Amino acid sequence: MASIARSSLLRQVASAPKVAVATKPASQNSIIANAARASAFHTTARRDLLPPLPQKVVGTVNDAAPVPTPSPSHGSYHWTFDRLVAASLIPITVVPFAAGSVHPVLDATLCATILIHSHTGFQNIIVDYVPTYRTPRARKAFIWGLNAATAVVGLALYQYETNDVGLTETIKRIWKA
Amino acid sequence: MAALRSTTSALLGAAAARPSLRIANAVPAAFRGMAQLADGAEKVTTSSGENANLKTFQIYRWNPDKPTEKPRMQAYTLDLNKTGPMVLDALIRIKNEIDPTLTFRRSCREGICGSCAMNINGTNTLACLCRIPAEDKAELKVYPLPHTYVVKDLVPDLTQFYKQYKSIKPYLQRDTPAPDGKEYRQSKADRKKLDGLYECILCACCSTSCPSYWWNSEEYLGPAILLQSYRWLADSRDEKKLQRQDALNNSMSLYRCHTILNCTRTCPKGLNPGLAIQSIKKEMAF
Repeated sequence: MASIARSSLLRQVASAPKVAVATKPASQNSIIANAARASAFHTTARRDLLPPLPQKVVGTVNDAAPVPTPSPSHGSYHWTFDRLVAASLIPITVVPFAAGSVHPVLDATLCATILIHSHTGFQNIIVDYVPTYRTPRARKAFIWGLNAATAVVGLALYQYETNDVGLTETIKRIWKA
Repeated sequence: MAALRSTTSALLGAAAARPSLRIANAVPAAFRGMAQLADGAEKVTTSSGENANLKTFQIYRWNPDKPTEKPRMQAYTLDLNKTGPMVLDALIRIKNEIDPTLTFRRSCREGICGSCAMNINGTNTLACLCRIPAEDKAELKVYPLPHTYVVKDLVPDLTQFYKQYKSIKPYLQRDTPAPDGKEYRQSKADRKKLDGLYECILCACCSTSCPSYWWNSEEYLGPAILLQSYRWLADSRDEKKLQRQDALNNSMSLYRCHTILNCTRTCPKGLNPGLAIQSIKKEMAF
């Protein structure tokens, strides 16, 4: 949100001569003045999406940082699952091409594993770059957007596997085309 | 020394009347970006003799008393023949003889206190352990630790870093008394597990070099704190291992580490925080 408030247009308006600003209504004036004052404290480039906020110390400086409640499904289980899926992708990807077999079950497993792998991968990106403490609503939107996208892709892959030739066969045909 | 002092005071007198600073600060505040080398560039040179080995230091300057002024790079030229070998020697000499307003932290000057951590030529390191590249004639650039709130000049604000350190309870937690009632004993093999962990001086070089910590320092603990966390997880005398692991078992505290390994690369003490973090993850995996 802060990036919208500090758009380049606003900056140009803020830095324009005083005469131009004086014609604007009083409420807008204060917004512009605030934005200009806030932007004066930032030292990073202007195109940044989530610029660093002014420093805020939670509690006193001698308090420990809060420890989140344990949640293994977002922590250790998630990480282990991630690694297992990533590691299992190697043999599942190699086998169909090495053996020359395109068994539908193997093909379906490959599709499902790739789907899960990309889902958790994108999840990691969202957790990294859309932090809850900063943009809680955007975080929720991104997570549900990802869930929807995964569901659509899953449905599409299911349709493709059941009604068409399947993933491995497609790659094979494109390769030979 | 007396001769040097007189030249310094003459230079300072000249600095007070220097008009170039005022021009540099006339840039509108709304167009501030990163401090550039061209911003407010001014040269201060010490007196030098015949065989002077001059080296220019570009140092990040920002004064909290003038918050609307843009941070700028200031150039100081020193004769390396009269300066100690390390960057900290140069900084101390600049502060003593050229510009007493230059602000930085330093204490032990031998890499054991971790006060003088700063970004020198693009690498986070301790100024006291970083040699001035004497053959290289290029300017040496000194910035505060990246992505920290700057208190003044080269002094970063490490409040959050210390708060996070406190949150991992960095002390021995134990309920059962020692069998002989004297001390908690440890086998040599168990003691060896702490090598490479206990040497950390918490200079924050690794944490502030970690992109993941840059984005999420509010919640992610960062390599230095996680190395310390592992120091207590790996300690055979500690009895709160499960509670310590539970405190890390969420999406943010530990698992924002993506093995970028900037931490290991930059550590001025040659430790390996990346390996320690991976060890925590592996221990918690199954």
